[in-house]
Amino acid sequence: MTAPFSYVRVGDNLDAVLDTATPESQLLAGGTTLIDLMRLGVMKPARLLDINRLPLAKIDETPQGLSIGALARNSDLAHHPAVRRRFPALSQALLSGASPQLRNMATTAGNIMQRTRCPYFRDVGVAACNKRNPGSGCAAEEGYTRQHAVLGGSAHCIAVHPSDMCVALVALDAVVHVRGHYGTPIDGATAREIPMASFHLAPGTTPERETSIGHGELITHVTLPATALAARSVYVKARDRASYAFALASAAVALQIEEGKIRAARVALGGVATKPWRSADAEQALVGHQPSDATFASAADAALASATPRPDNRFKVPLAKAIIIRALERAREMT
Amino acid sequence: MAASGDMTSGNAGVADTEEQVPVELGDTAPLLSAMGFEELTERAGRLEGDVPTVLALFADGDALFASDLEREAIRGELRALGAMLIAVSPGSLWCFRPDDEAQVLAEGPQIDFAATHQLFVRYGVDVAPKSGPSLRGLFVVDGKGMVRFGHRVGADERVTLLTAVAAAGRAVLGVPARAVARGGASRREFLLTSLLAGFAVAVADGCARLDPPRSAGSITQEEVDVTLDINGQPRRLRLEPRVSLLDTLREHLGLTGTKKGCDHGQCGACTVLVDGRRINSCLTLAVMAEGTKITTIEGLGTEDALHPMQQAFVAEDALQCGYCTPGQIMSAVGLVSEGHAHDEDDIRELMSGNICRCGAYPNIVTAIGRAQKQMTAEGKASKEPV
Repeated sequence: MTAPFSYVRVGDNLDAVLDTATPESQLLAGGTTLIDLMRLGVMKPARLLDINRLPLAKIDETPQGLSIGALARNSDLAHHPAVRRRFPALSQALLSGASPQLRNMATTAGNIMQRTRCPYFRDVGVAACNKRNPGSGCAAEEGYTRQHAVLGGSAHCIAVHPSDMCVALVALDAVVHVRGHYGTPIDGATAREIPMASFHLAPGTTPERETSIGHGELITHVTLPATALAARSVYVKARDRASYAFALASAAVALQIEEGKIRAARVALGGVATKPWRSADAEQALVGHQPSDATFASAADAALASATPRPDNRFKVPLAKAIIIRALERAREMT
Repeated sequence: MAASGDMTSGNAGVADTEEQVPVELGDTAPLLSAMGFEELTERAGRLEGDVPTVLALFADGDALFASDLEREAIRGELRALGAMLIAVSPGSLWCFRPDDEAQVLAEGPQIDFAATHQLFVRYGVDVAPKSGPSLRGLFVVDGKGMVRFGHRVGADERVTLLTAVAAAGRAVLGVPARAVARGGASRREFLLTSLLAGFAVAVADGCARLDPPRSAGSITQEEVDVTLDINGQPRRLRLEPRVSLLDTLREHLGLTGTKKGCDHGQCGACTVLVDGRRINSCLTLAVMAEGTKITTIEGLGTEDALHPMQQAFVAEDALQCGYCTPGQIMSAVGLVSEGHAHDEDDIRELMSGNICRCGAYPNIVTAIGRAQKQMTAEGKASKEPV
């Protein structure tokens, strides 16, 4: 049973939200993660600030690219003509995630802020979880780790970041726009921009810190730059069933090919890492080379070179490589 | 507080003149405590003042409940109404709350016959009919003590407590009057149902404020007023913010067509439409849905005029146990209006949020394709599917 909380619906005044946010409060958008975790007893906010009425749902095509409102629903974003045409990996990633019902509820910012699906994190009957209860240890260390990360983990946490959308956003050089009180608590609301690739934090010694924003800050929108790469972008995902499952391994790639050579590349991975994972090593292995099978294979090797698998998730290394290669092949085929 | 026999007090004097005119809709209901039922008031606890009450007057108290099944059904109807039931007969006095067993408040010699007689007279009900059904009258008194609904049962009517309470529940909950639509109902049943429908909103207003059942020791918290638009009807509720839209539909409004499977957004049994879009009602708080238009399976079609998607599920035998079916149908209606499914593979992918443990998937896919063709032909696909 969900623990009690008080509920405040915010009108259309953004700064009013920021002024009333306290460490005990949580912002409520689509609710697909938050209400689930509250029912499990994992999250127990004393207060919910329902921000669904804030005017932040617009998706605008701009000369610079695309501006996506924090409250744009995943389904609207996935089917937006400009997204399908100019940023196909984002549409594909969104449509490979969750179910149509959940996509109708889930928001852009909510997707970015979603929590891990680590079974030990989600089970309050398990005492050891550094993310849920800092300093308590990590049950996965001695546990079943088939779903866990092979990249970006630490001795304190190997939970996977579950989002598909974020992997595409990383590959598409997205920027997260945040408004709020940052630094000293009361010095007026300020806006800042955080590149998607550095928005999420690897667990390190503080797995409870998952993003680089804090209380009193709110994502207002996400921008995607119009790059030469974006239109030739692909998302490929492997999962335990044909649909409606979290990734075992996924890849968002983007290629700019000129005169038979890869001029620029993006490779991002999902399902295998503690945060949406951009692989600079894989990109380096691609740039300047022909888009050949051999090049793709070496990029895949580079992406997983630093992997630290465990017996239960060893399969993720070859699986992720195969997924990267398939995504690159599809990107090469695009015109 | 005047005892029934005390005709000298001021209260009784007022009652004396009123006694000649039976209560009508909109009248203030006679206070039971003022009519010799103090004991009832004490034992029932919050009997008067703020709890909506269904008052059933019986010629014969033995006929109160026919079976456990009927009792359970009445329980559900009362819960939906947010009301408690008081049943009075010349020989017994019962109190029945949705979450308690029926409680005998007084029986046999404990009953003040004069008080019972006066009660029946005030409600315009014949206390000792020569024939006819045992239930003589059913009245709904709202939380402010106003008579919101009344039906006096005629000698040739076949009305039981369950059918009468259910009719009230149906009307209040905005469910189509199936008995009428089927054509098998008597004229009296028709009148009963129409009358109920007319006062549905008024009754809902009066009845919705009953506290939701709470287990002892649970943490109480502030409740909030919520108005939801469900199947085209405004429904006023008082809820804790933590109550999901799913639980609101099922536990507070008696709309049990929407099913609870996993309660975590993983199975799709709870799918409803919010502003025409399919969502998981288990992961939506009722308070979040205020200001939207909610459509449940109950609002999709009627028994005589099924929605094309319902027809197709029947025609294609697209179910086995049926538990997931309301969610499948609501999800499929959403799928058609979204307009992204162009073949059976698309349907499979876009129905992935609805799990069927019986494995009726092949027929579900066929049914959706069939309904999609019909809905598209009828030009409904791109419109709000209600």
